[in-house]
Amino acid sequence: MTSRMPSSSSVTQARQLVRQLRMEANIRRIRVSKASSDLMRYCGEQAKYDPLLMGIPASENPFRDKKPCTVL
Amino acid sequence: MSQDPLEGCRISAGKKSAVSLGKALHPPNLLVVVEGTCGACVAASPVSAPEGSCSYNVAHHHLCVCVRVCMAWQGLQKGETLASLKQESENLRRKLEEERGKLTDVELHQVAEKVETVAALSIKTRRVLKGHGNKVLSMDWCKDKRRLVSSSQDGKVIVWDAFTLNKEHGITLPCTWVMACAYAPSGCAVACGGLDNKCSVVPLSLDRNENVTAKKKSVAMHTNYVSGCSFTNSDMQLLTSSGDGTCALWDVESGQLLQSFHGHTADVLSLDLAPSETGNTFVSGGCDMKANVWDMRSGQNIQSFDNHQSDINCVKYYPSGDAFASASDDATCRFYDLRADREVAVYQKDSIIFGASSVDFSLSGRLLFAGYNDYTINVWDVLKGTRVSVLFGHENRVSRVRVSPDGTALCSASWDNTLRVSRT
Repeated sequence: MTSRMPSSSSVTQARQLVRQLRMEANIRRIRVSKASSDLMRYCGEQAKYDPLLMGIPASENPFRDKKPCTVL
Repeated sequence: MSQDPLEGCRISAGKKSAVSLGKALHPPNLLVVVEGTCGACVAASPVSAPEGSCSYNVAHHHLCVCVRVCMAWQGLQKGETLASLKQESENLRRKLEEERGKLTDVELHQVAEKVETVAALSIKTRRVLKGHGNKVLSMDWCKDKRRLVSSSQDGKVIVWDAFTLNKEHGITLPCTWVMACAYAPSGCAVACGGLDNKCSVVPLSLDRNENVTAKKKSVAMHTNYVSGCSFTNSDMQLLTSSGDGTCALWDVESGQLLQSFHGHTADVLSLDLAPSETGNTFVSGGCDMKANVWDMRSGQNIQSFDNHQSDINCVKYYPSGDAFASASDDATCRFYDLRADREVAVYQKDSIIFGASSVDFSLSGRLLFAGYNDYTINVWDVLKGTRVSVLFGHENRVSRVRVSPDGTALCSASWDNTLRVSRT
């Protein structure tokens, strides 16, 4: 119910709240154990593509600390 | 049983009723006598409602007027008072908690015990972007992974090349406190807004000599400051959050309001769009301590979470789209799973007493970077709930942290007038 009402009385607001809560209470949920294992699986699958987590090998890292060099 | 027994009813009120209807729409919320029958109800006699009852925008809802009036009248007559409605909402809140509790068979960090601990991180500041004359309030990466846009308290918006530290564009806004800025998906425009109560889109030109500020176009109009903005999947639509308590979706070309989102009872401070694969939703967080998930097409508030004890400064989706994190002035960051419909982790430490202003996930979602008002960035292990690392360097509050689109860098904006780009 989008609120396109002109100034609403507190009764309307309360009714709206009850309606909203009723809708929220009735949504379908899954178990936390299932949700957690899905999150873990996603992290595990994507971990190898995560540079901040895994680090970049020094040879490929354009921002690695420079070693001192001598000019011959 | 449908929530609204009158849904689907059509207006079949007679001419006399239509005239009476017109009166019903004007304040003060007065429903006048309506006569006549309608196809859906059985009330054939005139009914009236006492002064002070609700009024309805009938044209939008296609209601059967006399039945609606009946219901309103009957509802009030049955002793449905403000108190009884409040009681019902309390009962529903308790039921909501119970339903959520029933499915809490284990905690996330318990399940995550078998996961390997994160190896020590070696993230260091590699670039410091200096150029803003005042606090940097917000920043956003471009999809090309090297450009970024930042906005500041002095009204300036700067587009940088993070590799070369070149300032590519400088836009001056007539207001101070530009709290929101975003890069368009195409990389051809930026959006910015703040105390001017507007969000403007500025097309970026390749011609260095062209004055980009002149081509600025106001798209969003709010009745209070704009706190956050984001383009949707294209350059054509813009989503904004505002201190007026609403979020809104705008068409960039015409400036038309496509959808508005009402539900927060205080300033909305942040919003984030779900990753494109997971559909048309976004999450918002505000000073009412609530994080709400919205359906972009219908404007409906789908889910709501009120675990925080203070203003929510930032919300961000987990990369898979099934969860999101929030940062709050109560010095905690929290993690919510959308399918389980509850908070599943709290990231806090006794030693952390300053509010968290911003959060972002690393590419895999294993790490959560959080910027705090004590000038540090804490890196949390999302699954285990422990702190992995602390990043120092800023000399004032961290206002925003964002991981680059390819996950190789973290950019942090701060009230010390600089931005820092950190990498491994």
